[in-house]
Amino acid sequence: MCQNPNEPKKNPSHFESIEHSEDTPTHRDLLWEDYENLIQGMRFFDPHIHMVSRTTDDYQMMAKAGIVAIIEPAFWVGQPRTGLSSFKDYYSSLVGWERFRSSQFGIKHYCTMGLNSREANNERLAEEVMEILPLFAFKEGVVGIGEIGFDDQTVLEEKYYRLQLELAKKAKLPVQIHTPHRDKKRGTERSMSIAIEHGLDPSWVVVDHNNEETVKSVLDQGFWAAFTIYPFTKMGNERMVSVVEKYGPERIMINSSADWGISDPLAIPKTAALMMQRGIPKDVIRMVTYQNAIDAFAKSGQIDVKDFDLEFSPDPNAKFHGNSVLRGGQQPVINKNSLFIQ
Amino acid sequence: MNANTTIELTQFLFEMTTKSEREWLENKTKTNVLDLMTAFVAAPRFLSKKNISYDDKVKGNLIPHLPGYQVDGWSLVHLARVWLLLQIPQDPKEDCIKNIETLFDTAELNELVALYSALPLLPYPWEWLSRATDAVRSNMGFVFDAISLLNPYPELYFPESAWNQLVLKTIFNRKPIHLIYGLDRRKNKELAISISDFIDERFAAGRKIPPQILRLLTPFSNEEHSSTLIRMFASEESGEKEAAALVCFESKEPKLRSLLANHPELELSIQNGELDWSKLESIP
Repeated sequence: MCQNPNEPKKNPSHFESIEHSEDTPTHRDLLWEDYENLIQGMRFFDPHIHMVSRTTDDYQMMAKAGIVAIIEPAFWVGQPRTGLSSFKDYYSSLVGWERFRSSQFGIKHYCTMGLNSREANNERLAEEVMEILPLFAFKEGVVGIGEIGFDDQTVLEEKYYRLQLELAKKAKLPVQIHTPHRDKKRGTERSMSIAIEHGLDPSWVVVDHNNEETVKSVLDQGFWAAFTIYPFTKMGNERMVSVVEKYGPERIMINSSADWGISDPLAIPKTAALMMQRGIPKDVIRMVTYQNAIDAFAKSGQIDVKDFDLEFSPDPNAKFHGNSVLRGGQQPVINKNSLFIQ
Repeated sequence: MNANTTIELTQFLFEMTTKSEREWLENKTKTNVLDLMTAFVAAPRFLSKKNISYDDKVKGNLIPHLPGYQVDGWSLVHLARVWLLLQIPQDPKEDCIKNIETLFDTAELNELVALYSALPLLPYPWEWLSRATDAVRSNMGFVFDAISLLNPYPELYFPESAWNQLVLKTIFNRKPIHLIYGLDRRKNKELAISISDFIDERFAAGRKIPPQILRLLTPFSNEEHSSTLIRMFASEESGEKEAAALVCFESKEPKLRSLLANHPELELSIQNGELDWSKLESIP
């Protein structure tokens, strides 16, 4: 797959999998002013967001909304990569530039490393990627192998999924599973049974992009169930509130998966605000928007919540280990309302 | 690389480690090069996160053939990574270079810091020149610092244009230039011209001037600098006045020397040894 990008069936975009196109859009217009009071003082952890596709404005809004840490899973950049160097540079950006950029806005950045399912279908390249993956999987701040699993549910996807489960065991890292857009229910079950077959403890595995149809089985088998609040194609946040009402907060976590598509990096704070409006207890909200994700990925030994406080200081002269994290003369926050640009 | 370096570094490193950490490190040297490279990456998972420090006696003298090379304040992981790099087999040359290049290509920030700070110790030092000059272009503060500050590599191997770029970027990034190894030894006329232009630009933009940078004008200051120095003497910033005074004091140009006559108090404190460039150093 991915060799001919003009062949839509083999290279679908997020938007081609709208099975329930008659559904009304699930996102509502919710301005920061409308919900900031509801989430005042709350801290959020987004365990799935692709910041490489997002802007500095997003980082600023996220920090303002209380997001203190994020996990950026290695994934599909929207078009197939043609060589190993592209993968190397992408992985390097996750642990290098993007982590640094995030720190400029006071947000602690972690990542998960993996070969994504779509590109697993390019066997020649996949082989090469698997050779360098260990050099990235063992890096500081890498909290899991992810996002891996199935897209088209091909033989090659299964091959590299299994190989990466073995790498996760060797590196003692949690696994973050991407469940397919199409044929999701069967893809989810298959991902879980293969993980169990490889001897992974379900409490080390986060199954992502769940919906009402998959959640029960995922929880019953002892896996973490992650939900992506992503307009049109994945969960809407009103549906999410109902899921939490029905299943409670145990082993459930929410993420934005915001990327290069029409997505929302504030999906978590907005969902938290909605939960507050619906009267869901604050400790329940805290679990599904913060603590559960930390508990799941802290098994990597790479998360220290004390770091969330260290990263940011509004004093532009502040130093960390004697150095400023800011670029020459840059200040972490600029006043966008000012007419003067100094 | 000096053959004694590894021995000195090994002894120093093992003094800082626990028994199990030491065993982990020693085991890695007994395996294949891929395991060694993975150990370089995985070090923070097996070694304590503590920072190392040592007394002033040793400071800057740890590696005798590189006086000033400092590891004080490094993390144990940083030091261990540099040590692991020195365990990579040096022969054949092509393999050694390829392995270190791979580590550069796949490195995250802390690994880059370790790699760049190891440059003056690595074999085949000229092979890393383009990497090193690239690092000066980095927007990542820690990477920039690793090559530019307290690192003998640029002084030893950078051509003049790259050296000047390093100094200018250090100034632009508001970093302390006195931490550039060999700063005074590699002053040059081209750099002095750039500094002079930079000062004029800052004046034009109404911005402050980091006074420390004027030390780079001497011994190349000339009559053309007099208007700049007059403006600096008129500044409300005491540091700018003091820097101007030091330039005049060190200048061989009678016209510049004469500017100091209007500021006898500054001249006196220079003569008394109370004012020198070190007083203008920004916080390290």
